[in-house]
Parts: sequence; C-alpha cells; structure tokens
Amino acid sequence: MIAGFGLRAQDLAPGFSGIDLQTGDQINLADYRGRVVYLDFWASWCLPCLVSLPAYQQLHADHQSDDWIIVAVNVDEDTRDGLDFLEGVSVTYPVIADTEGEIGIPYGIRSLPVSFLIDQQGMIVRRYRGFESGDEVEIFADIQELVNN
Amino acid sequence: MMTQTYRLAALLLLMVLPDLALAATCSCAGTPLMGALNTSTTEQGDLYFSLTSEFHEISDLVQGRKQIDDETGRERSSLSQALAFSYGLSDRWALSGLFTYIEHEREVRSSFFGSKQRTSGLGDSVLMLRYTPLYITPFSRHELSLGMGARLPIGKDDAGGLIRFSEDMQPGTGAAGAILWGQHRLAFNQAATRTLTSSIFYTRNNWENERDYAFGHQLVAGVDFIQNLNTRFSYAAGLRYQHTTSDRRLGFEVPNTGGQWLDFTPAFNYSLDNGLDINLSGRIPLDRKLDGAIQFTTSYSYALSLTYGF
Repeated sequence: MIAGFGLRAQDLAPGFSGIDLQTGDQINLADYRGRVVYLDFWASWCLPCLVSLPAYQQLHADHQSDDWIIVAVNVDEDTRDGLDFLEGVSVTYPVIADTEGEIGIPYGIRSLPVSFLIDQQGMIVRRYRGFESGDEVEIFADIQELVNN
Repeated sequence: MMTQTYRLAALLLLMVLPDLALAATCSCAGTPLMGALNTSTTEQGDLYFSLTSEFHEISDLVQGRKQIDDETGRERSSLSQALAFSYGLSDRWALSGLFTYIEHEREVRSSFFGSKQRTSGLGDSVLMLRYTPLYITPFSRHELSLGMGARLPIGKDDAGGLIRFSEDMQPGTGAAGAILWGQHRLAFNQAATRTLTSSIFYTRNNWENERDYAFGHQLVAGVDFIQNLNTRFSYAAGLRYQHTTSDRRLGFEVPNTGGQWLDFTPAFNYSLDNGLDINLSGRIPLDRKLDGAIQFTTSYSYALSLTYGF
C-alpha cells in the first residue's frame, strides 16, 4: 500500500467518519466545522504516545470549550490493544479506530505520534511530528490563537 | 658529477623499490564511501548530518581463497573521515552527499629494506539523488528506495612527490564513477522495531584518471537484520557481498586486482535525547576469492559514526 504524501499547512483536511471506541457515538470530521480540531494519530506501541495522550487529556479537562476539540485516531492493527491502553489513561475525548489506514493514509501518516491542527474552515494549519513532555503548552497556545482569530 | 648521478639513481630506486617488491596490489574490499553515505528516510525539509570515522586494516595476504604468510612484514591500513548529509527535497525525493578525507599508511619490514609511507588528503565525494515510492508506515510493512548519482574525483590523487605512489595509496581515485543504488526494508511488526534491510550498490568506473587508470566496477549487496531493543538502543547483524572487477590501465586489466568478498557486518546504535545517534559498526571477513596470483586485502574494519537530525 502506497502512503499518501504528508499533508502540510494550508491543505484541506481530508474528511473521515468513525465510531467512538469508548461511547459508540458516530464521529464525523465535518460535524466539527466551525470549531478548531486537534487531530491526533497514535498507537499503543508508540512510546511517546504514553506521554502525549495523558497530556492531551489534561488539556481537554482543563480547557474544555465548544470552540475546540481533540479527536484521536488509534491506528493499532488490533483495536483491543488501543482499548487496553485507553483504560490506563482515561481519555474522555473522542477516539476512533483506523486499522486499515482509511484515515491515516490520506493524511500521509508515516511515523507516530503525529497531529494536525485544523481550523474552523477545515484547513490544516500546522502538523506536529513527535511529542515531548511540555509540547502541550505550545500546542494549546496554537489552539487558543486559532480560537481567538 | 658521476657520483651524484649514482646517488640520485640509488635514491630513486629506494623510493620505488617497495612498489616493485610488492607487485601484489591492494584490494581494500570496498572504499568507505557507501558505508558512510547517509540514506536515512526523510520527509520534506528533513536534514541529517553524519560524521563517520572508518578504519581498515588491510594486511591479509590472500592467494585466491587461501590466506598465506606475508614474509615482507608488510602492514597496511586506511583511515577515512566522512562527512555526509541527507536532505529531503520532498516526501519522496532526497539528496545525499558525502565528502571524505583519507589517510593511507603502508609499512614494509623485511631483512633487506624497510619503509613507511603515508598519504593523506581529500578523497572522492558522492552525490546521489534518491526516490522513495514506498514507505514503512503504520499501514505498510515495505519501504523501497532507488537512487542514482556520481562519484566525484575532487580529491588528491598525485601523492608521492617525484615518484607517484601506486593508485591504491592515493586518497582519491582521480576519475568519476556512476552510481546506482537500491534498498528495500521489510518491517516484521507494525512498530517496525524489527526490520530486514536489503540493499544493492553499484559503481561503474568507465572513466580513467590522468594516468590512464580506471578502478574496477564494484557491486555491493547487503542484507541486515535490525532489532530495536527500546527507543534508544538497537543492534544489527548482516552479510555483505562485494564483487569488484579488475582495475584497468590503458584499457588492459591490471593483474592482482578485483575479486569477491563476503563479510559479516555487526552494528550497534544508541540514540541520545537531543537527536544525536551514535553508531558503531564493523566488518569481519567470512570468505573471499581474489583475482590474480596474490593480493593484500582487508583483515577487518570498524567505523564510528555520529548522526544528527534537524
């Protein structure tokens, strides 16, 4: 399977839909038009994701608002691995599974973690590769800047 | 006047004697070029720099497949410093480059004469354009890269003063070469912590240097199993096969050059927090079948490499 080119800033975020692994709700990117979306791709075997998911959950809990949302996409080949991981982190934002790359390939995912900041019009504003503790501060500043625009 | 002429002749004879006495030329079992070339998978805008120090001990005297005693007491080694870069022009295209500084040392200790010769200077450089149509991703276990480029003779190839040293003692070859390269990586799991890398590297040396000398065409094929133990440490074990055709002077084959080599290639890699990778690798001969009557060839080699990614 050939991976798509990596998306960059000013590209239109490819649409997708899926079922929230934890609540069973239908998730559709188009439903979040008008809000800032922080789209995070992760997997249970991705060691930096052990750090990034709790950090994002903290952001989500501390700054919950209708202006922005985190949507996570788990790319584990076996979704049970992703669910086991989530049990330990208690993530409350939407998490959908992408075992075949239906979402990840159009976004050109090559390594994890990788995240995309999507503005209210559905355009990609920034791509983040990797994660280190403390990165969430800069990420939330970017989110706030978009929200305030 | 006559005495001075004899002295000069004797001096010239002494300078050239080691080369005459050691007509068996050296096959270094591979220039250090490819091993030091950075072929890291890149995305657009990624930039990697590598600094590699590679040592070759070239003191095995081999007749065909058989290692024989060297009664000349000759020792030969090469040390190369290589600065390599890799830059992602796009998500599929990358440019790799390599600049080298080479030091050769040759020492002969026999009952009749003894000498030590050293040469050093800029060696050849390499520029290669790579295309990667397939990547290892969470959704794909295969990666394929293809490349083509050139070996550029920007180095020193006239070391030796009045009597120029033999071609294998020159830091640079003095002639360009065309390079073809291909690499396939197979990931055994989604996290790609266990991979098998197969690569092939071909250098075609059709051009002769100023002394009408052309090094042999070289084919290097390798397979490496790489295991990441954690986010910092990985090790690799591989096999490397090399086939080199005979060198040519004025279009005629140079005796005692060329052959085939099979080496075991272990490597260890340690990643630091700041994006710096430290790599230690080696080459241990398993088998070799060298052309001609007799050749000096690589006894072993090892390399220490530092890589930094921006």
